Amino acid sequence: MASVVSLPVGELRKSDGKPIMLRDVLGWSVDHKVIGVQYALIALFFFIIGGSLAMLIRWELLTPALDLMANGAAYNTLFSIHGTVMIFLWVIPMSAAFGNYVVPLQLGAKDMAFPWLNAFAFWLIPPAGVLMLMGWFVGPAEAGWTSYPPLSTMFSPDGQTLWAISIHLLGLSSILGAINFIVTIANMRPEGMGWFQMPLFCWAILATSIIIVMATPFLAGGLTLLILDRVAGTAFFNPAEGGDVLLWQNVFWFYSHPAVYIMVLPAFGILSDVLSVHARKPIFGYRMIALSSIAIAVVGFTVWAHHMFTALAPQFRIPFMITSMIIAVPTGIKVFSWLGTIWGGKIRWTSAMLFGLGFLSMFVIGGISGVMLGSVPFDLHVHDTYFVVSHLHFVLYGGSVFGLYAGIYHWYPKVTGRMLDERMGKWHFALTYIGFFFTFFPMHMAGLAGMPRRIAVYAPEFQTWNVVISIASFVLGVSTFVLLYNMVWALRNGKVAGPNPWRALTLEWATSSPPPATNFVGDPVPFKDPYGYGTKEAAAYVEAVEARYGTPDDVAQSSKPAPAETAGD
Amino acid sequence: MNRSSSGINIVPILIVAVVCIGGGLLISTLTPTLFPVQASSQAQQIDTLFQLMLAIGGGLFLLVQGLIYYAAFRFRVKDENDRSDGPPIHGNNTLEIVWTAIPAVVVVILVIYSYSVWVSIETPQQNETTVEVVGRRFAWTFTYTAEDIIDPQTNAPVRFNDPNLYTYVNEALRLQMTATDVNHAFWVPQMRIKQDLLVGRITEMRFTPILSTDTNGDGIYEMAEAFPLRCAELCGDGHGAMGLVSHVYVFGSREEYDNWFAQRVNLVLNPPEDPVARGAQILPTYPCSGCHVLTSLGWTGQSGPNLNGIGDRASRRVAGDSAEEYIVHSIRHPLRYLVPGYAGIMPQFIEDDPSNANYMSDADLIAITAYLCTQTASGDSACDISTIEEAAAEEVTTSGMASQ
Repeated sequence: MASVVSLPVGELRKSDGKPIMLRDVLGWSVDHKVIGVQYALIALFFFIIGGSLAMLIRWELLTPALDLMANGAAYNTLFSIHGTVMIFLWVIPMSAAFGNYVVPLQLGAKDMAFPWLNAFAFWLIPPAGVLMLMGWFVGPAEAGWTSYPPLSTMFSPDGQTLWAISIHLLGLSSILGAINFIVTIANMRPEGMGWFQMPLFCWAILATSIIIVMATPFLAGGLTLLILDRVAGTAFFNPAEGGDVLLWQNVFWFYSHPAVYIMVLPAFGILSDVLSVHARKPIFGYRMIALSSIAIAVVGFTVWAHHMFTALAPQFRIPFMITSMIIAVPTGIKVFSWLGTIWGGKIRWTSAMLFGLGFLSMFVIGGISGVMLGSVPFDLHVHDTYFVVSHLHFVLYGGSVFGLYAGIYHWYPKVTGRMLDERMGKWHFALTYIGFFFTFFPMHMAGLAGMPRRIAVYAPEFQTWNVVISIASFVLGVSTFVLLYNMVWALRNGKVAGPNPWRALTLEWATSSPPPATNFVGDPVPFKDPYGYGTKEAAAYVEAVEARYGTPDDVAQSSKPAPAETAGD
Repeated sequence: MNRSSSGINIVPILIVAVVCIGGGLLISTLTPTLFPVQASSQAQQIDTLFQLMLAIGGGLFLLVQGLIYYAAFRFRVKDENDRSDGPPIHGNNTLEIVWTAIPAVVVVILVIYSYSVWVSIETPQQNETTVEVVGRRFAWTFTYTAEDIIDPQTNAPVRFNDPNLYTYVNEALRLQMTATDVNHAFWVPQMRIKQDLLVGRITEMRFTPILSTDTNGDGIYEMAEAFPLRCAELCGDGHGAMGLVSHVYVFGSREEYDNWFAQRVNLVLNPPEDPVARGAQILPTYPCSGCHVLTSLGWTGQSGPNLNGIGDRASRRVAGDSAEEYIVHSIRHPLRYLVPGYAGIMPQFIEDDPSNANYMSDADLIAITAYLCTQTASGDSACDISTIEEAAAEEVTTSGMASQ
């Protein structure tokens, strides 16, 4: 081990090779595995909240008139909180869940570099979530997740202030978590694991963390100004008193465009691991995938104003078009490298793999529409329309959420020691893939035909598209519960997983499932290539792991009389 | 089988290329059927650019989806006991260079082409007509100026307002826009062009209509045929409705436009003597239709109180206010009394600053009040013209009753 983790005095480690129980996650713990599960549970809770809001949005949009909601403002609160919750309380914390649980294990480390800080970062999330939802008691934010002033400063109820404070806390949580990841990944790799022997998930978390540390302080600055304008009588965004309405848009997007990569890079990392493991083939172009993450992280800081093409002074539009289009190149490299990875492999249609393939298939659509949106003249037509709504969901749902789903199927056995049911998993995939496509693809058409986003009342000619979209969205909504049921059902009834059900080479699988308190017994030795499938050495390594920790059958046998005996000895 | 020297089978590559290119072209050809009509010269250029991107994007879409589905089925292993791995291939430099270089070239082409379209649609034209646009919650005001006709009352060129945009085929139009309360965005899907209206800033957009809205050729310009003006930037409660209230009317010829323009100028220079008739003519030039219902003028707004039958109700709203006092005060000081169930979002129409977007002269106020007083079940006016003038002269302030 490159470094040793000491526990803060008096802190109790909860997980000792037994599955993490409800009472563990409800209390303070500095164990990265418990914290990972805590992140996942709170994220899934807010996923349901955000999803329910989306269902209300789609129900309202079944007809052109205002019928479900009392007025336009009430409708505006739905998509404002939907967007905010999905971004800040679902995708980002869920990515942090995988980061927390998996990164130290993949590095062969006993914990994160700063375990106490890790727990502190997590415990900022519940109060932030409560603040966000408390908006409904004082009139929630209704200016969209982007909350442009003056609408968000002079025309929104007090929930907008709570919204800003809540995101402030979530941003702080992100920054603390990201610092922890950077230090952990830089310092705690085991001997024999250089930068380019790291699993690509660690690369993705590293790139994400760099973006978070660099970008999130800008969000914090913007939010501070917004709160001051709302409660302290300042006028940063009020032109009548010398402020400027575009100041917020610039600061906000300087964070929020990189935030797209904060949300999608971890899913890229999951995808790299899942595709390679379940296609039994090395990653195609490892270095290009790793370095393209860093390239995306860097170039991602120069494109923010493409979100403001219709507001930006005309002379600035072309430079931002150029940078925005350049970013298609590293993204294209990744997509083709992933295709190269599965090509000629021995593809298992596991649920994790299906979601991985589904990710590729849907994310590509978001990538293509993204390049189109980057072209200024075309953007003048589709900016702030359903075309954009479609694009962002293909990236953040078809990309990020499909990736997170793949991660859940891939790592759930490690976390719980049980396999998720594959039959339910395939149903989940089929419903999600079809429901997703028919929810979001027709939105392109509605946008091209002339439907703006964020409206409850629309011209009757758009109703046909909206009915199709709403019906598909209800299928998509139901599909989520197949996964949630599976996750609860499998806790007791799932097949015993054993240490390495996927016969993977990365280090998190070279220990029992769930891992003991200190993750490994002794210092784990990483295989020289995290994705070196197809060689005799790789097969021998997997067999050695199975010999030490047991195959799934061994573990199932031995766990019958006394559960989890094999772990932690 | 045709095999090249490197052992690569050419035939499937050719098939894939034909399917992707042909499919891309098909997608590019068929998609525009979903579009609204091309009503501006900018729309033609933007659509051509979009079709190029669709052809490339459509081909790429078919290629990637095809490869994913092919790989998923072709390389699937069903046997659970099969522990074999795929071949240990870690990459291929040639391939990696190819799939870095091709997208890079495509991106460069798209950037150059987009830039040329951008320059073409943004360059100022000769003989542009400028119309001023003000966006407010939840309505639009267009201000037209007759540069060569002096209004003897103000000693300045005649100006008049309208909630709709009027233009004619091949007129090079320049819109000078601002917003009074929150940001809005001007979007006419048929023109394919959009620009935000920003508080505290003046923004510009240009387009040249090429299609008349008199689609059935009867010489009558109806709302049903006009191009809808959508608000594309979230502006609050009535954002959706703000995309339904105003329209763009494109006259088929300069002559028709000039006739319309002359009538409107005449209305400013020679207003009708009868205040009710005058009110009926000027009320539609104020941005009230975005929020209020008034069936006699075809208003359908939802964010403000219904004005049908207001003449009957006005005297009962505020103790001590006659009908005319109530209406006058509601326009000059909208927050003084809020109809239950409605938020105080109506702008205050002021009398002392003609350059303000919310300026309303006393003469207009009196005419509008006279007109609104006739909105009764019986059709008789609820007010007397002389008392309206007195009410307009009264000084009231927004009292403590108003709160937001």
